Amino acid sequence: MSSAAPQRPNGLALFILPSVLLFALFFFLPIGLMAVMSVLTGNPVVAPKVAFTTRHYARMFDDPYYLEVIWTTIRIGLVTTLVALAIGYPLAHWMARIKSRTGHALLLMAVLAPMLTGIVVRTFAWMTLLSDKGVINQTLISLGLISQPLKLMYTETGIVVGLVHIYVPFMVLTLTGVIGRIDEQLEQAAENLGASPLRAFIEVTLPLSLPGILAGSLLVFALAISAYVTPILLGGFQIMTLPILIYQQISANFNVGFAAALGIVLLMISLLLVIAYNRALGLVSGQRELQ
Amino acid sequence: MSASIEIAGVSKVYDGGVRAVDAVAMDIRQGEFFSLLGPSGCGKTTTLRMIAGFEIPSAGAIRVDGADITHVPAHKRDMGMVFQNYALFPHRTVAENVAFGLRMRGLDKASIATKVKAALAMVELSGLEDRRPTQLSGGQQQRVALARAIVIAPRVLLCDEPLGALDKKLRQQMQFELKQLQKKLGLTLVFVTHDQEEALAMSDRIAVMNGGRVEQVGTPAEIYNQPTTRFVADFIGDTNIFRGERTTTSAGGPALDVGKGLILALPASIETQGTGVLSVALRPEKIRLSPADGTAASARGVVENTNFLGGAVLYRITLGGGHRVLVQQPNAGTDRLFVPGNGVTLDWTPADLVVLKD
Repeated sequence: MSSAAPQRPNGLALFILPSVLLFALFFFLPIGLMAVMSVLTGNPVVAPKVAFTTRHYARMFDDPYYLEVIWTTIRIGLVTTLVALAIGYPLAHWMARIKSRTGHALLLMAVLAPMLTGIVVRTFAWMTLLSDKGVINQTLISLGLISQPLKLMYTETGIVVGLVHIYVPFMVLTLTGVIGRIDEQLEQAAENLGASPLRAFIEVTLPLSLPGILAGSLLVFALAISAYVTPILLGGFQIMTLPILIYQQISANFNVGFAAALGIVLLMISLLLVIAYNRALGLVSGQRELQ
Repeated sequence: MSASIEIAGVSKVYDGGVRAVDAVAMDIRQGEFFSLLGPSGCGKTTTLRMIAGFEIPSAGAIRVDGADITHVPAHKRDMGMVFQNYALFPHRTVAENVAFGLRMRGLDKASIATKVKAALAMVELSGLEDRRPTQLSGGQQQRVALARAIVIAPRVLLCDEPLGALDKKLRQQMQFELKQLQKKLGLTLVFVTHDQEEALAMSDRIAVMNGGRVEQVGTPAEIYNQPTTRFVADFIGDTNIFRGERTTTSAGGPALDVGKGLILALPASIETQGTGVLSVALRPEKIRLSPADGTAASARGVVENTNFLGGAVLYRITLGGGHRVLVQQPNAGTDRLFVPGNGVTLDWTPADLVVLKD
């Protein structure tokens, strides 16, 4: 159809312009800049003579300290995700299947209410609970169950507790949507065919909610590995994670290039997970390949 | 081995006081095709779900072959069920769906494969083993659901409006096949439907339900020809219902004065001396229609409109006094059709009037 009239621009296309600009300015531009900075010797704005280098990445992968930081970040992310899933799944299942409207509203409020408070406030609340002279340790000591306060603050455990509390709603809301769309009659059909309620859950509901489990886990993991406030307050610089390290490199060491390289690594971890997620979902949903 | 079911005074009251099923009692015989028929909200599905074990009765007992199963959990009842929307497992293939119940019973792989193959052959779905339910048509999904339910050789097969989602042609074909399969396997089958034609065509016996109660239990012919209540007469097929005071004919026989100058002679089986208000039903096809010159007529009227149904013709006729009646006649040829405005005489036998309980 070479003789076809030249296509007139669709007027509706103009409406996506704001979002295109927004994405370009606040997403692609900063990430692009970060990627560029991570392979430069210095800041081209202040230092006129800059050259390409891979030394930031080399430094990261040569020094076991930085590898340890990356691994700690991933470990905290994984544990947070698993705990959030263990807490969030039963809650989401309950919310998706509850018959009473009032009950559903109350559950939803209970899940959402903490999100109305700032992360800093919630983290401080955990500090009063977890510290050596905090509520938990004082209670246990006064009950005579322990003599020395448990080391809850300034440990990975403390960070995970704080992160789980903050990110569990994301897990619950993602899962509730998916579980709510599974026909309850499928479980009944399984029971009718001789499966105990637990077996029916394992055979039917669990596999069908796998997309929600994957999506919720991905979301919580990505948020947990990029969290800054909670690890700093509950870890008290005793536990070093990637976001804290990046902040230090910029604010204390002024090593923007190295900070950018660390940022790219953090981004890559999330990106790899998204790709793995799509693959897994493709396998789960059978023949349908995700384009 | 097929079983009999006894439903003894079963009620279901939901939180909030809604009485979905109210003191329902019926006996379903072994190897019987038994339908629960009624409008939506009449309690038929709740009754079925109580038999399946998905709902616990608030009162009464359900017995299978004499054994009380009222509180036995669903997965230990050994019943097959075909759900209204089929409830096929979307993440499993056709063969895996059918194999599910056998797997739960711990059968070995080889005998599962043999039985699945036989069940799929029985519903004529051989060759589709590896498809997913979403890749099948509605009729095929329906057959998979049926195969999945019968492959476990259930004591009872429960069907919740299984043909509701199919178009008319396919529906009739499936009605025929399901009935044939049921007879061949000697299955006790409890079938829930709101479609009276379907119930009449397929069932050995029907329980007509309304407002949580059983109105009448009987064979299709009994339900149609001798409805005992006004609801049953009205719900099953077209019918003319008259209501009036008891009186006597000039000859001294029992009769009913339905007002507007119309007095209906009642069947001779009714006692002559009686008073009070009665309702009677008269099926449209029990009335004979002839041109207005007839002599010994039960009533006279004018054709208001003519519905040509093909094999039969349905007339709406206004009687002299103002009553309106439906009359159905076999199609006896174009030249024998009455058209609106024709004067006609109507004849029926008093014995065809069925006295109803209100």
